[in-house]
Amino acid sequence: MAEDLVLDTAIRDWVLIPLSVVMVLIGVLRYFVAKLMRSSQTPDAKMVKEGQVILRARNLRAAANFIPTKAFRARKIYFCNEENGLLFVPKGQAQNPQAQMFSDPNMAMDMMKKNLSMIIPQTLTFAWVNFFFSGFVAAKIPFPLTQRFRSMLQNGIDLSTVDVSYVSSRSWYFLNLFGLRGFFSLILGEENAVDDTQRMMQMGGFGMDPSKGLSAEKDNLDITQHDWALPNFEQRAETVLKKLVS
Amino acid sequence: MVTKTEDNQLNRLENQVDNGGGEAWEYLCLVRKLKLRRSEKVLRHGLSILNDPKKRSSLGPDEWTLYEQVVVAAMDCQHLDVAKDCIKVLQKRFPESKRVGRLEAMLLEAKGLWDEAEKAYTSFLEDNPVDQIIHKRRVAMAKAQGNISGAIERLNKYLEIFMADHDAWRELAELYVSLQMYKQAAFCYEELIISQPTLPLFHLAYADVLYTLGGLENLQTAKKYYASTIDLTGGKNTRALFGICLCTSAISQLTKGKSKEDKDKSQVQSLAVKVLEKDYKQRAPDKLPQVTTALKGLTLSS
Repeated sequence: MAEDLVLDTAIRDWVLIPLSVVMVLIGVLRYFVAKLMRSSQTPDAKMVKEGQVILRARNLRAAANFIPTKAFRARKIYFCNEENGLLFVPKGQAQNPQAQMFSDPNMAMDMMKKNLSMIIPQTLTFAWVNFFFSGFVAAKIPFPLTQRFRSMLQNGIDLSTVDVSYVSSRSWYFLNLFGLRGFFSLILGEENAVDDTQRMMQMGGFGMDPSKGLSAEKDNLDITQHDWALPNFEQRAETVLKKLVS
Repeated sequence: MVTKTEDNQLNRLENQVDNGGGEAWEYLCLVRKLKLRRSEKVLRHGLSILNDPKKRSSLGPDEWTLYEQVVVAAMDCQHLDVAKDCIKVLQKRFPESKRVGRLEAMLLEAKGLWDEAEKAYTSFLEDNPVDQIIHKRRVAMAKAQGNISGAIERLNKYLEIFMADHDAWRELAELYVSLQMYKQAAFCYEELIISQPTLPLFHLAYADVLYTLGGLENLQTAKKYYASTIDLTGGKNTRALFGICLCTSAISQLTKGKSKEDKDKSQVQSLAVKVLEKDYKQRAPDKLPQVTTALKGLTLSS
């Protein structure tokens, strides 16, 4: 049955290859536009400090047993006391990330820039593909696939009798959109790759509340028990030395 | 930290480059990556690349990184004219750059024009108050002028923000020790032990500071940290072995006449003495008599 469908070579020359080329060109263009619009933002001192506090508190928790009890207790109070402890966040002060975002126009601006450089070309190319190439069977992959792949490979063709190994033009567009990442990292350099999937994930995780990190770390530190490990080391040193002497 | 493979690679490249075997750029990259101080070699090999137009242009945009590296190395070697020339080239390429501005300020610093350098750094900090490098430069400047307490003040200010920077803690600890402010130094070493609990170096330094502070409790703690150093180094650290002996004798002097609570502790000391004697017998037999008498003196007094 599969042999029945013969793909015109003109489809290859006028649909398959132009689509891929356009996708690559748009990717490159987007990279340069993003580079132009990128604003070098200086990190906020308070944010930096909060990150460092969390790091230090985490270290303290992990290595608590290596310092004397007195030293540990002093640090714990320094971090966790309810008046001016570094990890203590007053209740009212916990800022809503949304509010914070609106209060800082730079942040919103940055987000918008990112979104614009991502969404506009994507919608445009999608509209373009849809308009010119809707319903094309653009390629055939050289191996058979199960029915499950139909929605992935034959987007835009509502025929259930076509063999799944044929790829519609719209699906070819999607395959390119997500599959060209490796190619971009080749031509634009490792870290410059325009990575849509990653960016989408970032969007989801945006707006994490730093004060939440602080209070979580505080809770962790609060329940940390101190058990000084050093007394054991004397015995261990003894065994080490015994081995050396003998 | 420099790992062993990196160290091997570095030595191999260094040998090769010194004997004119090429790969100078790879060597310079490695030095930069590992943040090593090989100023003379960097200056020599970096300049040889920069003076060769063909080699220079083959680097592409990395050329400017190399310029920066050579500038810093040249200032370290007091070749200020070289540094000045390189900065001029960079300035022509990046007229408004802050990174070049920093190099200029460092040149002022190298010339000893402290006030002007200070002014430049302060203006940079106003633009970007969280620039770690500038903060550190200011600390270094205060230290270079012999103003240790000023350096400590600036470091403290820096650590208020970047409190997870263990290199800064280490510097602060050493500054405190140089001013004999041992309690403060002890705090810094605690901080270092927290950040890298398996590094014997900090255990040893902490023990040293505690031993110097004195007092029964501190001595006992110091002894424990000497013991942990021995454990972490596998008994190869002579200083820790001596430390154990000194601590034990000091403790027993303090507790003389009081109830003898723990007899077993002396076992560590006797073992340490044995290991020390064995070590000296192997490595420096001519000094063995001195060591034996010194150690005997310690055990007798206890």
